[in-house]
Amino acid sequence: MTSLVQFGFLLQLGLVAALLIKRLWRKFPYFSFYAVVSLLHTTSYYVLRQHRGAYFYTYWILESITVLLGLAVVYEIFQHLLAAQPALHKLAKRVFQVAAIALLAAGTTVVYLQWPSGAKSLSSGVFVVEEASRVIEIGLLVFLFLFSSIFGLHWRRYEFGIALGLGIFVAVQLAVVTMNARVGLTVVQTLSFIRIISYSSSLLIWLGYILVPESVAVQAEVPKRAQLEQWNRAMMELINQ
Amino acid sequence: MIVTMIVIVLALSAMGIFYTQVRSRRNAALQAVRPVDLQAFRTLMDRDDEAFLRGNVSSSRFRRLKRQRVGVMLRYVSRIAGNASAVVRLSESARLSSDPDVAEAAAQVINLATQIRMQCLLAFGKLSLEFVVPSLQLTPAILVPRYQALRENVRLLGTLQTQQLTPNAEAI
Repeated sequence: MTSLVQFGFLLQLGLVAALLIKRLWRKFPYFSFYAVVSLLHTTSYYVLRQHRGAYFYTYWILESITVLLGLAVVYEIFQHLLAAQPALHKLAKRVFQVAAIALLAAGTTVVYLQWPSGAKSLSSGVFVVEEASRVIEIGLLVFLFLFSSIFGLHWRRYEFGIALGLGIFVAVQLAVVTMNARVGLTVVQTLSFIRIISYSSSLLIWLGYILVPESVAVQAEVPKRAQLEQWNRAMMELINQ
Repeated sequence: MIVTMIVIVLALSAMGIFYTQVRSRRNAALQAVRPVDLQAFRTLMDRDDEAFLRGNVSSSRFRRLKRQRVGVMLRYVSRIAGNASAVVRLSESARLSSDPDVAEAAAQVINLATQIRMQCLLAFGKLSLEFVVPSLQLTPAILVPRYQALRENVRLLGTLQTQQLTPNAEAI
């Protein structure tokens, strides 16, 4: 387990270095900040693990910041995705807002229904709040992928890699956090192991999409504007007939 | 416990969606623009043909024939939608060109392709309803007001954001 954490730490260092060297922090400020805070998160584990109280508070403060940054990263990707689609901006922003409000309501419902009572209410309550936040985060990521599928939006390399890595980690984290409060100690250790594996996988995905050059796209002829106008007219006829 | 199950199902479904997205992105990279026979497409959507069928065959046979026609039309619309996506993907690098004329032309093409994609969504909705209820003929009276609003949005956005790139709103 320790060697896995160390491997993850090295990958995190690599990610921050790659973002700095490729100057991607200019293009993806929230994601870069997310990567730095995640690195601090792991560093705090090494520095503070002997001091349980300090580590507890540091852990949850940094965890809260990464959850908020995760949401900011989703919005950042959403904006990049729509940069080339002026015709979709207004509609997409409205749909995104509706999705965010619906997911906020879903998150609030989760907190309301899952809120624990009794002696362990504080630590369990923190898990429930994280569970609700992850529901919102994963919901927004799923929305992003579905919306782009429906409208045929083109994902560029970096955006796709960031969204995919974040999505895999958040999905696993959601399942882990949800089960954490309801299972025994042995299972909790297994879940921690799964969480570390998933985060390392996400780090590898991010590094892969940032460092490996994109393969040359298939060269195909782009139709002339007149051809597009013909399709446009045909679709109009179908809609209006 | 039910909420826990729902949340875990959500997480697993999300993983499934991510997997399909990776696959479809890989397939999209290989997808080229495919030809569309617009003449045949127009023949299929001719309402006079439909009226002729309605008057000359039994209602059960009409329903079957109409569903077949709608099925083929859905394939045409799907092909046009796929082509529009491929155009957006293929024009992406041109949009980032250092030559402003090339970049502007690419932006116009992308804009038009996006509008076609939106029209395809409307057409999918219309055809799906007619597939379910073959006797239905969704007329402009039902669809046009919504589409008109969409057109106004596109025109307004074009005016606000890309003043040089808006003739496409007229083409809708």
